[in-house]
Amino acid sequence: MTLELVCPAGTPSALRAAVEAGADAVYCGFRDETNARNFPGLNFSAEELHEGIRFAHRHGVRVLVAINTFMRAGIADAAADPWKIALACAEDAGADAVILADLAVLDHAATHHPGLRLHLSVQAAAATPEAIGFYAEAFGVKRVVLPRVLSVEEIAVLNQAIAVETEAFVFGGLCPMTEGRCALSSYATGRSPNLDGVCSPPEHVDYAQAPEGTTARLAGFAIDRFAPTQLAGYPTLCKGSFVAGGKTSHLFEDPVSLNAAGLVARLAKAGVTALKIEGRQRGKGYVAEVVRTFRAVVEAVETGRDPVEAERRLSSLVEGGRQTSGAYRKQWR
Amino acid sequence: MTEREKGELPGFVRALTAPSRLLPLGLVLTLALRGLAKRRPALFDRLGEHARRSFVIEPSDMAFAFVMVPDGAHAEVRTVARGRAAGDVHVLGPLLALLGLLDGTFDGDALFFNRAITVSGRTDALLALRNAIEDAELRPSDLLGLEGRAGTLADASILRVVGTLQRLTGLQPDGMPS
Repeated sequence: MTLELVCPAGTPSALRAAVEAGADAVYCGFRDETNARNFPGLNFSAEELHEGIRFAHRHGVRVLVAINTFMRAGIADAAADPWKIALACAEDAGADAVILADLAVLDHAATHHPGLRLHLSVQAAAATPEAIGFYAEAFGVKRVVLPRVLSVEEIAVLNQAIAVETEAFVFGGLCPMTEGRCALSSYATGRSPNLDGVCSPPEHVDYAQAPEGTTARLAGFAIDRFAPTQLAGYPTLCKGSFVAGGKTSHLFEDPVSLNAAGLVARLAKAGVTALKIEGRQRGKGYVAEVVRTFRAVVEAVETGRDPVEAERRLSSLVEGGRQTSGAYRKQWR
Repeated sequence: MTEREKGELPGFVRALTAPSRLLPLGLVLTLALRGLAKRRPALFDRLGEHARRSFVIEPSDMAFAFVMVPDGAHAEVRTVARGRAAGDVHVLGPLLALLGLLDGTFDGDALFFNRAITVSGRTDALLALRNAIEDAELRPSDLLGLEGRAGTLADASILRVVGTLQRLTGLQPDGMPS
């Protein structure tokens, strides 16, 4: 069985870096609120997507377009609806699939763009045969990106019970919440990844420097403080450090990154079709190094060669300087 | 952590670069940036509203800082003494790490996680600039306005010097000292 390596691209140059480093597929999004990485200076115009897809296809690489936020209610003019425009642009550009989460966007795609292959975003948080079966039956979804809350054993059982492909995250930032349902960013800033495409929108982030270290604030809330020599993480509330019960700790989740390189063989055995690397917000240096490393991991698994030292190779690229196998081993339950 | 451990320039290199503060660097970089905007206007589109913000880029191993407003044809760069620069965004780090960001050798988030650089001010403007630079795939010849053989030669020689210095200071692609 051949595992498909699905790699992130926040810019056209990152797309080229991913293709050249050995991606089988690249995922990206438009420069607006239709995708869950809607950060300043990031993402693709319609023209850049056309060019990116042409480049990828010349190299035999597929391009998946993430239109994975939830459609805003009350858009009177359908012709100006960003989600409908995004779907039409993706199809026009020759996207190999679109990654969707919202029922309305899925319905519109299935009805008006029947030629588009539909993947279900992790933002839909579909983790049961019933939920996945519904999306497959109602909209013809062909692949589900699995929420990062399942163990390898649970994925194996799930794959036996469903008729669509599964894609599992193997590297990058971890979301400890029920994805697509998290309201922490919205609570603090009024904007969320689900509706606006941004978790911890940067206009609300502030780093205050002082001799004792750096204080990270989100919308005025102090969420962490790093000593000058302490490794830092992203300014998200879920990975903030808080005082509760008289103790200071990372209450929800430590600032760590997922690295499931050591579990790739087991994920393949569990019936996973594709391995996903997180990080559309990262630079092409990160994209190239992580894709190269996971290409080597996949080849080592498929040919029975010695395992690749992925943790060592990628240790300095990760959030907080630490790596975890996350829920795949579920040591925390 | 010592300065050397943070990937800063060795003392003898700093001494060699010290006279550069006497050069009209601000004027040279202003003209280079405006020339770049003329040749590659799309590069500046990613900045959006943030093109008019002022970015203080402060190499921790140099005697001066740069204040840049990357406003396309109206772009401007000034050099000021370290510690005296004010702007909307402030980035502080070793010169070679900052240069690595410019050509995409280093990952900005990794530099931040590893504390190789510190940032303050408008995070949204900084992100826009980082992402615009990331996509630009800038080479020395782009800033110098050189094309053809001259550009190739300039890229090869300048990148060789920078690469040698990065190895000398122990900087890895993630911006961490080895």
